[in-house]
Amino acid sequence: MKEKKPEKVIIRIKRQESPEAKSYWEEYYIPYRPYLNIITCLQGIRKTLRTFDGRPTTPVAWESSCLEEICGICTMVINGRVRQACSALVDQLEQPITLEPMKKFSLVRDLIVDRSSIFENLKRVKAWVPMKDTQDRGPGPKILPKDQQINYALSRCFSCGACLEVCPQVNERNDFVGAAILSQARLFNRHPIGKEIQLERLKALVGEGGIEDCGNAQNCLEICPKDIPLIDSIAEINREITFNLIHLIKGK
Amino acid sequence: MSEAEIKPSIHFWLRRLHSLSGIFPIGVFLLEHMFTNAFILGGPEAYNHKIEFLRSLPFVAFIEITFIGIPILYHALYGLYVWGTGKSNLTWYPYPRNFLYTLQRWTGLIALIYIGYHAYHTRIVNALFGTEVSYARMAELVSVPWVFWFYVVGLFAVMFHFANGIWGFLISWGITVSQKSQKIAGLSAALVSLALFSVGISSLIHLVNHP
Amino acid sequence: MTTSTKKEAIVIGGGLAGLFATIKLGEKGIPVNLFSIVPCKRSHSACAQGGINASVNTKGEGDSPRIHFEETLHGGDYLANQAPVMGMCEKAPSYIYLLDRMGVAFNRTPEGDLEFRRFGGTKFHRTAFAGSTTGQQMLYALDEQVRRLEVEGLVTRYEGWEFLSAVLDDRKSTRGIAAINLTNLEIRTFPGDAVIVATGGPGMIFGRSTNSMICTGSAAGSLFQQGVWYANGEFIQVHPTAIPGEDKHRLISEAVRGEGGRLWTYKDGKRWYFLEEWYPKYGNLVPRDIASRAIFKVCREMKLGIDGKDEVYLDISHVDPKLLKERLGGIIEIYEKFVGDDPSKVPMRVFPAVHYSMGGIYIDSRQMTNIPGILSCGECEYQYHGANRLGANSLLSCLYGGEVAAERTQEYFDGLSEKGDSGSLRWLEQHRKLEEERLESLLRMHGKENPYQIWEEMGKWMTDHVTVIRYNDKLKKTDEKLVELKERLRHINVGDPTHWANQAVIFTRQLQNMLELARVITLGALRRDESRGAHFKPDFPNRDDEHWLKTTVAKWTPIGPEFSDEAVDTSIMQPKERKY
Repeated sequence: MKEKKPEKVIIRIKRQESPEAKSYWEEYYIPYRPYLNIITCLQGIRKTLRTFDGRPTTPVAWESSCLEEICGICTMVINGRVRQACSALVDQLEQPITLEPMKKFSLVRDLIVDRSSIFENLKRVKAWVPMKDTQDRGPGPKILPKDQQINYALSRCFSCGACLEVCPQVNERNDFVGAAILSQARLFNRHPIGKEIQLERLKALVGEGGIEDCGNAQNCLEICPKDIPLIDSIAEINREITFNLIHLIKGK
Repeated sequence: MSEAEIKPSIHFWLRRLHSLSGIFPIGVFLLEHMFTNAFILGGPEAYNHKIEFLRSLPFVAFIEITFIGIPILYHALYGLYVWGTGKSNLTWYPYPRNFLYTLQRWTGLIALIYIGYHAYHTRIVNALFGTEVSYARMAELVSVPWVFWFYVVGLFAVMFHFANGIWGFLISWGITVSQKSQKIAGLSAALVSLALFSVGISSLIHLVNHP
Repeated sequence: MTTSTKKEAIVIGGGLAGLFATIKLGEKGIPVNLFSIVPCKRSHSACAQGGINASVNTKGEGDSPRIHFEETLHGGDYLANQAPVMGMCEKAPSYIYLLDRMGVAFNRTPEGDLEFRRFGGTKFHRTAFAGSTTGQQMLYALDEQVRRLEVEGLVTRYEGWEFLSAVLDDRKSTRGIAAINLTNLEIRTFPGDAVIVATGGPGMIFGRSTNSMICTGSAAGSLFQQGVWYANGEFIQVHPTAIPGEDKHRLISEAVRGEGGRLWTYKDGKRWYFLEEWYPKYGNLVPRDIASRAIFKVCREMKLGIDGKDEVYLDISHVDPKLLKERLGGIIEIYEKFVGDDPSKVPMRVFPAVHYSMGGIYIDSRQMTNIPGILSCGECEYQYHGANRLGANSLLSCLYGGEVAAERTQEYFDGLSEKGDSGSLRWLEQHRKLEEERLESLLRMHGKENPYQIWEEMGKWMTDHVTVIRYNDKLKKTDEKLVELKERLRHINVGDPTHWANQAVIFTRQLQNMLELARVITLGALRRDESRGAHFKPDFPNRDDEHWLKTTVAKWTPIGPEFSDEAVDTSIMQPKERKY
């Protein structure tokens, strides 16, 4: 990207020892190399445990696993924008690089937040195919390639939480479930057997924190690292609800 | 492990009502109103005649309160509540749609103030004090420069809010699902609003130029 | 969950194998406590790209589970025990159907049936796939089903907890496990009558591999020190095509070659498709051990890597871009994001990287370890892949192992007279105190060593000397180094004395266990003076069935691993010469 390569990479990290502690910024550097990403930088920092001016410091807490942008665990706010640290290449970032934890989830330590609410909300919309058991019962239903392509696009959601982080409707006053959950509800409503409990999913989504909280800012679509058609999903769920308004009013 | 509970909520229904009220009756009324305004371009006689006709409708006060006053009031108040549920983040995520999201809220507020002012001076004064509303009075009102500009801004706010509102309505009711259809709907709504805005502005200018 | 009559199971690991075992146990009405260090959805199974093998034979090629079985054995150089492999291959088609019913978005034929593609070591279209993120799609489907069981009250999940050790009584029977909460470092013991270990591979031992950062092998290493045997540790698969990186090597699936990708480099100024020249029958789809050795030969011996570097081209640019997007989208995305080039236009640059461990926890033919009540399934056990795993067989072995482990658990429970809770509490409490003391002593250490530094050194040594090409003198030196590192690890400073999300102390524990397994891998390789599958010694270039058609079994002793051999089950077919 840039013409002249810097000699070192300067990284500012927002640190906080625990949910109760006060946050503060600390600056670090690591020698520049090509193809550095944020994970490589953080790995470098934990080997020296020194700040920019050489002061010893405690290890920064951060999470990583697959480093291929498929587990979603290393999601954090980099230069003000939420994304996965593993695929954030230093060559494409303005320096100094700032790292912050996601703000829409409760903080654990430094760059780690607790995203278990996403998984709880997946339970809420029953994001699964309601199977009776897993015994051998021959082939599943036929699915045309064009439908498979849509399903696949939706089922690539790795629950990173970026869509919640950028949603203006998700904040301390509002517990909107967010685009990812709505999209998963759509995915299972599309499935020939998943459809069986469509109404239960819709009922969950007209409840508190449900779809009415969507403000159509559509930031989710912009930020989604897997380019999931989230706003189509939201509109589709809206449509399903419209078609089922009478059932939903009855509450049954 | 906590079971994911679903708390039933009235807000979904209120929100849908809010969305609906923006189109019907408020949007429909807006169309009618802009149509009436266009008579300004035909001069005082045509306009006054039109106003006379509207005023002569049966149950006019009932219609005005039920289909215009209350819906607008509901739309405005619930809209303010909805505004309170969000928190704009344009600084870090300056995407076009995010900008429109924020603008929708501000134009709603401006439109509310503007409509309040406008309704007071063109309708409520009549009801309270019997002040006659006519071409001449309108011309007199907008001849004050700040009022004129207030009208321009107000009109813009209303029209933007309307266009963006139509776009949102179509999504919230699941009428436009694909990104492509949403885009087409958005552009179409913008064009309609632009047309209405031009009608409004021409009427205003006409009033100033032909007092 | 403390009903005294009902026997409970513990599953450790929320990847494919663990989740499938959990589902099967749940369906049998056995209550399960499921432990995973990360939310299950973030497990390493998500990284499996290419697909899952099953001889469904929808293309009229005459494929059958029997052929699948034979090719799996052949690919594994006949080191795998045959009966379990046969069971797996026979069961495979039903798994594909099952996953399909669960909603896995497998690619389809125009008629809406399942699509299959080719993979290494076979000429049949046998691999079902969901784009190029099949593992992810399967993992999610199982995760969803477990979530359903969770809501039904059959499963309790402990995500963000790491297994520390098993709780064994004086008769070496299983009483439960000790685990640590990774947020507040609380150590707790959980009672369980059976423990299924499904904790994945040990790729992190090699520093950088295609594995996730969570694939430390720590659980297996810990159990090994408690007396669980470890088998065939020396068989480490090095995947031929990965993007070399400083933090990890990113896998470029075999599926790329299955869809027509070709490996080449320049020779005399012209493109040289070395695999096609050397192996005209299978071409680019030879098994991984062979392809990796070929690339090593090209780059190291012949010095014909791109620009003299350790890289060759993997070329898919001649394939229709639409097909690429539908079938390999995820891989292309990875390459674009991390390298910056578009593989549909420019050939990718790849080099082999440590990928999979064929070896693992020793189990019998029904997934039970040598300690009653401890079972294992998935990559962390050794049963199905012999000396080299065929591509797209790993996802299959996770499911099969998971199912058998669940069945075996029930049989084991049926055989237990009473729920062994008399005295359990005492064992659990005693063990908790022991684990707490171990943690505190680590936190108290104020030496000079940095655990990450030690890990890096271990990784470098292991990668340099215990991967594709192995020499006995280097292996010996590596083991000496490992012993030295173990000693240095006793003078560590974790740099953080707190009990809140203290990752350094957790990592140090893992590193202790990794070093134990590293020695098993290295010494196992040193012992085995032959070449078989992924294990290659230039000084012993041939397979030696007479001496080494044997499973290596390692047992822990305080002075280092002790090895013995066990005969391989060859009840179904006689080993043949391995030629491609």
